[in-house]
Amino acid sequence: MLERKLLLVSGKGGVGKSAVTASLALRASRGGKKVLAIGMVDGFGLAAHLGAEEFKHEPHEVLPGVFTFAVDRSRSLDEYLKIQLRVPRSVPTRQFSKAANVLVDTAPGIREIISMGKPIFEVWKATYDIVIVDAPPLGQLLSYLRAPATIADLVPAGAIRQQAEEMRRALADPATAGLLLVTTLEELPVLETVEALSALEAERLIDGVGIVANRVLAPLGLAADPADVPDGPHRDAALLHEHLLDEQRLWASRLGDHDTLPFLFGLLTPGEVAARLADAWVET
Amino acid sequence: MRRSHVIVVTGAGGVGKTTLSAALGVVAARAGKEVLVITVDPARRLSDALGIPGIGNRPTPVPDVEGLSAAMLDVTASWEAITRRHAHPDVADRLDANPFFRTIADRFPAAQSYAAAEQMAEFVETGYWDLVVVDTPPSAGGLDFFLAPRRMRDLIGGRLLRWLTGARLPARRTLYRITAKPVLRVADAILGGPLLEEIAEFLLDVRTLYDGLAARARSIERLMVRAATIVVSTATPASLREARRFYEELTDVDVTPRGVVFNRALPVSWIDAANAPPPDGRDALALRDNLRRWGEEAQRMHEARRKFAARHQTSIATIPWLESAPTTIEELTAMVRAADGLELAGLTG
Repeated sequence: MLERKLLLVSGKGGVGKSAVTASLALRASRGGKKVLAIGMVDGFGLAAHLGAEEFKHEPHEVLPGVFTFAVDRSRSLDEYLKIQLRVPRSVPTRQFSKAANVLVDTAPGIREIISMGKPIFEVWKATYDIVIVDAPPLGQLLSYLRAPATIADLVPAGAIRQQAEEMRRALADPATAGLLLVTTLEELPVLETVEALSALEAERLIDGVGIVANRVLAPLGLAADPADVPDGPHRDAALLHEHLLDEQRLWASRLGDHDTLPFLFGLLTPGEVAARLADAWVET
Repeated sequence: MRRSHVIVVTGAGGVGKTTLSAALGVVAARAGKEVLVITVDPARRLSDALGIPGIGNRPTPVPDVEGLSAAMLDVTASWEAITRRHAHPDVADRLDANPFFRTIADRFPAAQSYAAAEQMAEFVETGYWDLVVVDTPPSAGGLDFFLAPRRMRDLIGGRLLRWLTGARLPARRTLYRITAKPVLRVADAILGGPLLEEIAEFLLDVRTLYDGLAARARSIERLMVRAATIVVSTATPASLREARRFYEELTDVDVTPRGVVFNRALPVSWIDAANAPPPDGRDALALRDNLRRWGEEAQRMHEARRKFAARHQTSIATIPWLESAPTTIEELTAMVRAADGLELAGLTG
């Protein structure tokens, strides 16, 4: 999956999407690639997992070969208007930007296309070997991926439409872009992942490169049944572990083919979490 | 007519909002109150737990609990339904035919949240219920639900319209003059033709809804401000981050959460027990290591709760981890009994 030029990482909120994104950025840079990791919605999680104290809106190197920034919509809008749409200099930009900002808040698809455009422009610039994106969570992902088509439906002609069409093609091209879905082995994340996959396959908006199950527990390997352990916290903790493991097995069977990443115990910093996950990437 | 007490249960998806909402409803009804639990989640588990085969859009009495009813908010309610309710039929017809409106209607999620909020307000305003417990829609942890009335006001009385038209509401025939603004000619060239005109026309039509809809939206906003809002979280880092963000964003819209409920808390006693000798036998080492790991997890959760409480100076309640989510009335009641601190948040008793 790290062969793509653009890798989007999404999943239900709370499954560890930013940590997995950061771990992939680390893995790519360990393989000698120059990596750009983009936080599309919440820059903080991604920056923290890359060991940065705070997030910035300009690409900067946080680890050798790993650059990152968080998308800022108003800046992206400016860039979109000036660079991508080549709005002529004669246009009073401030007034136009103000109007455009208002438009962005009202017209469907424009906000999304501006955020979605940013990683795609970075791919077109070809400054990096791979662009890895901490994408919006599953609930919003489809409206972002559909944004180019939304715009194309809405706008009959002109530069925006042309731009949107090029974006749609870039996203849908398996040689360029791919989507990794992250989930935990719990009811809601698995069901939402399965549902999103079928919608994505039906609409062919982007090529799926796989699913990874995060926070997967290892078997305890007890000789005896934990229920036979004498009463006390050792028994309770063993029962908890076995119970969670059973739940995970159940939901793993509903998920279909997937890779796994381990549950990390202990008090780890976000940077440590990403590094441990990068070590743990095992294709199953 | 009574003034209903309203509890709004918010939090990220999967933290146990629906179950807690049902449990609070059961306990209050058993204390002799007339209670309505409104859910957005057609979770079979909830309707099973409440002993009713399905929950409809009208309050359905729960047979096993006197005084308790449940209703489901219809989040499929469309923009069309909202405009039909508030607009002149001619305007509604024109809106339905406007391509921009159709796109918005399909893709503007605030409409669904707004429809849900309107429905909630209707139930509260009947004055029949002592308590209405609202299980919020999962999008953005329920925040959309709070923002929907304000967003609706912004959209229909909005900046774009004012910018296009000046402060006053223009007549339809001035439309062409609006779109003749030089800046807009450039915009049209970029956007491709009639888009702006469609938007302007849409906004002008929507503008006629403003008085009715805005007044309604404001009254819903007031209702939300006086409701007791609680944030449900588990103590996983991601869920905590969500809860923190959500807590702060609620404060931004003038809603002060009554408290935070931490669900699925591991026993604090495991932290110290991790050093106790394990039971003898072949599994001694595995059992010791396992309790140490989960003891660390319990400690991390405990620290996280402590930090959250210190930072926001809010009351914190915890509900212990249960082997499986409660699925009967008795289990729901037991869950609230086993909880620690719910009374501090004014949610029980």
